[in-house]
Amino acid sequence: MITPDASDADHRAPAERTASAQALRRRAFLRGATVGAAVGSGALAGAFAAAAEPEPDLGPSGRRVPFHGPHQAGITTPIQAAASFVSFNVIAPDRAALENLFRTLTERIRALTAGGPVPATDLASPPTDSATLGPVLPADGLTVTVSVGASLFDGRYGLAARKPARLDPMPVFPDDNLVGSKELHGDLSLQICADSRDTVMHALRDITRHTRSGMQPNWKVDGFHAAPRPSGTPRNQLGFKDGIANSDVGKAAVADAVLWTHGGAAGEPAWVEGGSYQVVRIIRMLVEFWDRVSLHEQEKMIGRRRESGAPLDGTAESDLPDYRADSQGLLIPMNAHIRLANPRTPESADQQILRRGYNYDRGLDTDGNLDVGLIFCCYQQDVARQFQTVQQRLAGEPLVDYISPTGGGYFFTLPGVRDQSDRLGSALFA
Amino acid sequence: MSARTPSAPPARPARKRAALAGLLLLSATALIGSAPAGGSAAPPGGKLRVDTNSCGTPGERLPAGPLAFSVTNDSKVFATLYLISTDGKLAYAEIPWLGPGKTLSLATTLTGGQYAVRCVFSSGPVLTSGPVAVVGTATGAVAGYQPMGDLEMTAPVKAYRAYVRTALPELLSSGRTLDADVARGDLAAARTDWLTAHLDYERLGAAYSSFGDFDQSLNGLANGLPQGVDTPGWTGFFALEHGLWHGWGADRLRPVTQQLVTDIDGLVQDFPSEDTDPGDLPLRAHEILENALQSQLGGIADYGSGTTLATLDANVQGTEKVLDILAPLIRPRDPGLLDQLNRQLPAFQAEVTACRAADGSWTPSSRLATAQRQRLDGDLGRLLEELAVLPNLLTPRNHA
Repeated sequence: MITPDASDADHRAPAERTASAQALRRRAFLRGATVGAAVGSGALAGAFAAAAEPEPDLGPSGRRVPFHGPHQAGITTPIQAAASFVSFNVIAPDRAALENLFRTLTERIRALTAGGPVPATDLASPPTDSATLGPVLPADGLTVTVSVGASLFDGRYGLAARKPARLDPMPVFPDDNLVGSKELHGDLSLQICADSRDTVMHALRDITRHTRSGMQPNWKVDGFHAAPRPSGTPRNQLGFKDGIANSDVGKAAVADAVLWTHGGAAGEPAWVEGGSYQVVRIIRMLVEFWDRVSLHEQEKMIGRRRESGAPLDGTAESDLPDYRADSQGLLIPMNAHIRLANPRTPESADQQILRRGYNYDRGLDTDGNLDVGLIFCCYQQDVARQFQTVQQRLAGEPLVDYISPTGGGYFFTLPGVRDQSDRLGSALFA
Repeated sequence: MSARTPSAPPARPARKRAALAGLLLLSATALIGSAPAGGSAAPPGGKLRVDTNSCGTPGERLPAGPLAFSVTNDSKVFATLYLISTDGKLAYAEIPWLGPGKTLSLATTLTGGQYAVRCVFSSGPVLTSGPVAVVGTATGAVAGYQPMGDLEMTAPVKAYRAYVRTALPELLSSGRTLDADVARGDLAAARTDWLTAHLDYERLGAAYSSFGDFDQSLNGLANGLPQGVDTPGWTGFFALEHGLWHGWGADRLRPVTQQLVTDIDGLVQDFPSEDTDPGDLPLRAHEILENALQSQLGGIADYGSGTTLATLDANVQGTEKVLDILAPLIRPRDPGLLDQLNRQLPAFQAEVTACRAADGSWTPSSRLATAQRQRLDGDLGRLLEELAVLPNLLTPRNHA
């Protein structure tokens, strides 16, 4: 999945011993994207082998995430250190121009994620590249994941009949604070992730330069992936390990059941095969208030120990909570976040989502409080059946006093680009 | 190259930034140009030593793709190096300025064809190397451009100066109308006539560094002044706009309109003796609208009248005028670009004027609907990406 060496198990042990910060970070990626206890062996092999691969001379990171495939990169890809989520409105005047936009996006993403020397500049032109990454672009684990919003399927481009079956604008949930938000929805979203911040910035700058008359940015939020403290799943800004339980999409059967959309199934148009629904939510965390809450109360709200990440009925982060043995909620309260989010019943099995969130940190509010929080991002087969059901179940949970969802949107992540001759949205326009 | 050095008289801050950005841009080009394009392995080409008797002996046969000559100037004078087609019609890469004893890379990506290296020494000699056959085909090969001699800019500069000379009396007349309105205390008329006069000036956007200090006194923003809009002695169109739309009385405005007329008159008298740097013209073709994106569409230059879109419209007209004047130089070098700009500029202008309300009044840029603004931003953005080619395309490359 990640490198040509992914199956070469022989290199693993020595490379693990060299355990650089880089390698540690990559193991963290793994935990971010797969379930804690039962890690999919495919994903495991891939991620560990990525750490084991000798660093080629490509700059900040040798990781090159393949662009071509049945699904877009950046979904099951082990999570990178830095991200930008950017919403755009499409301003292409007509259908042909829209198709051109997707062609350009495909070309730029293909070139940027491959890395390599930047093209020569002719005598008349400004430089072909900003050079913020130097004259040879590092691949640096870059992924650019392209999704489309419900508004792209309005009357403008004759796409109304092709709208993915579950794609609607994100509704306002009862605990949301979206009034006056300037960070909602969009015709198109880019999730740009890489092993370093400057690679993310470089990619966005390159893409906007090449698509000025095709799309214009609406809003952008930047995220970082925390290091494990001291080990295991990284912590969010409430101080709790976040993302311990996640869909085990390393298993093809799981991915097919909860992650990928299937053409012709559940009322979906044929072209959505291999896509996924993306939810992005900007969730501010009111950390000053949170820091004035006792540890006991914090843990009751979350349902886990702050220090270890263990469920309140367990001892280790990877322990599975046993709600049947605690049907009165004596150990893990009935309204604890983890219990509401994933009650672990047969009925909730197909509601699992693949979380791929990032922390954000962006200055202050007018009262001098920190504007920090979580860019919640998840992928799923059916946004109504999965994220939305979970979100409705979380309505009114005690935690809502300490968080403030301020923006975001629902998008449909396009199927992957199969090969050199394919392009993003080829099935959509076919 | 020297066109963007800030040798012009003090200009408003926005302009100095533009000049600086230009320099950075150019040095970035040089950097990319001189970097080995193939990563750690140097692309083919090798060393090339040149002096006033020989433009070096490059390999006679090179594979298509990235190539780089490491050129050392063994002469005692400055040299300019070009990679050209053997018929001398097109240039592909350059080292604009190579000092005595210095080494720089002449690098680019070429597809199959016949090429040569040309050396132009500051002491006069112009030499050409033997032919270099590049064999095969390469992706990402650069296009060649017909080099321009500095004298080719003479006619456009003349045409441009004639245009300004014709337009200046009109500006003087509209300035006097404005002053007369204020003199008789008719501030409603003054607000209307202020716009006419200001647009007359903004249509000359191309001219600003040709106007020397007059531009600062006629069209200086409050940014950079010690007390901003409250700075005593702030003059010009924006000072008047601020006053006219912030309740200043006629008695307070009058000295400023009088000064405006004095300054325009001074400009009319002075212009014939002010130099126009030939390099300014293609630079303006790009930068008038760069400035308009920041100050007009961005709304920075709105001191109360809400007419920055009218200014943007005038700036588009100014750009069209410069483009029109430069067309004979652009046409043979990049006809596609010229055709595209000739389509897109009027289309963009129509888009800007469509933002007027039904009664003909201008919409303040801060009140544009999101969809409207995004369309304007996107189309202006694309125009700028294309206009950005002109300064380099029309850089003098004598004897290239």
